[in-house]
Amino acid sequence: MTTPAVKKIPRPIPTPNAYMNTAPFWDAARQRKLIVQQCPRTGKFQFFPRPGSVFTGRRDAVWTEVSGNGTLYSWTVTQSPWPGHEDRVPYVCALVELPEGIRILCNIFNAKTEDLRIGMPVKLYWEELEDGTLYPAFQPA
Amino acid sequence: MSKNKDIAIVSYGETKIALRTGRSAYDLASEVFEQILEKTGLEPKDIDGLAVSETMSETHNPFYSVYVAEMLGITPRWNQVTGLGGCSTIANVARAASAIRDGYCETVLVIAADAQSSMQTPVEQGAQRFEFQYPTGLKGPVGAFGLMTQRYRHLYQLKDEALAKLAVTQRNHALLNDNACEKLRKPITEQDYLNSKYVSEPLRMLDSVMVCDGANGVLVTSTENAKRLGLKKKIHPVAYSEISSYKSTEFTAEIIDTGFSVVGPDALRKAGMSVKDVRMLQAYDDFLIALMLVMEQVGFCGPGEASDFILSNDFSFNGNLPLNTGGGQISAGQAGLAGGGTNFVEAVRQMFEEGGTRQIPNPVNAMVTGIGMIPYGRNWGVSNVLILEQ
Repeated sequence: MTTPAVKKIPRPIPTPNAYMNTAPFWDAARQRKLIVQQCPRTGKFQFFPRPGSVFTGRRDAVWTEVSGNGTLYSWTVTQSPWPGHEDRVPYVCALVELPEGIRILCNIFNAKTEDLRIGMPVKLYWEELEDGTLYPAFQPA
Repeated sequence: MSKNKDIAIVSYGETKIALRTGRSAYDLASEVFEQILEKTGLEPKDIDGLAVSETMSETHNPFYSVYVAEMLGITPRWNQVTGLGGCSTIANVARAASAIRDGYCETVLVIAADAQSSMQTPVEQGAQRFEFQYPTGLKGPVGAFGLMTQRYRHLYQLKDEALAKLAVTQRNHALLNDNACEKLRKPITEQDYLNSKYVSEPLRMLDSVMVCDGANGVLVTSTENAKRLGLKKKIHPVAYSEISSYKSTEFTAEIIDTGFSVVGPDALRKAGMSVKDVRMLQAYDDFLIALMLVMEQVGFCGPGEASDFILSNDFSFNGNLPLNTGGGQISAGQAGLAGGGTNFVEAVRQMFEEGGTRQIPNPVNAMVTGIGMIPYGRNWGVSNVLILEQ
């Protein structure tokens, strides 16, 4: 008796413009540039992207490039994967804090989990997904 | 402070919590409704208000609460659906109290039912998740609480034996609860907790809930009407506080600082109580670490002191601060989004002195809490607290 083949769900690929215009973010990513929304009235940054500024409610947030140099805020070693990530187990999901005052949910590459420390400096790492999308991740600086 | 006891909870019902029943939320809700009618002697026509909790299994239906009325055979003059996740049930008690006070209706069925573990495909919450969460593989709430636990360990001392004590205490309660999921009604030891495998390290399997099916509900009316109907059992919701999207625009706020910093002290102030007056804590438990954060932020102990607080108090049903005496969701099973009603209905049961072999002596009051929705990069989306008194 053969075991029926389990249909594997592919790793989720980001779908730009799913709920608002995020095309500029992904266009910049293709050039390995990380851009983040900034509120022109308060100067504050926000992430993930929103339709308007969460600080004023006005629809005038602008995209600003950031360096992508940050620090590790927290991390978790994923043993039980989200669907589509089975092949990657174990993998590290993390929150990285940028000096602009935002945090990004991401994966950490090129690091042993035993070397990870909250507060350690990290820098951008562009992961190439199956369809060629460049997805922002981080690695030790 | 004189407390307003013009609103009463006069009955409750609850199904057994079970895995993959293949039943629908409507069928589960009907079982709760029948129990409430049988206990009170009321008929469907006596109920003129309905407040339901949003589900996972029926959330694709934008008219869910009207369908519930149709299915159960009631004709509400006030109908509310609340989508605050695990906060919905106690939020609905507060909303029902307001509706009764405003004269929209007199007797409200507050009901939550969900067949989440019987669903074929998961519900898609969408929005930013497609672009900024799913590609990372964060394991939903398990991943988010893994990040929180790591952060707590960094800032404070987190003693594994405190988490183990909570796990064992709640499991012992589930052993005494016939409505708890059978798969979970097996004794565990503190060592079992410590040996439990990591799902999103440092979060363990035994830190976490198991998604099941189930339903629960209560009947809320004015105290005056309860007397008129000759209903003997009644307890009173005396204080309520709720907050959504706490610090959501402070992008570098500490992720273990939750909305309970606001709603815990606020609910106690409204009830004219201090934490020392709380007779039982029926607290929303999706993960054990959430109980520690709630204890600290409501004010049972200071920041970072939860481990020692847990190790120096007895949370069993006959202890000094009974906690989740039905087993909590972690040991009774999470009835999908109806899980927010599980510990609440246990509070009502205890205050009616129907706790059986796990009855809390002198159940003068209860604090019930809710946690709802897991947002991007923070803790949780909604926090609420309800205080009940005799």
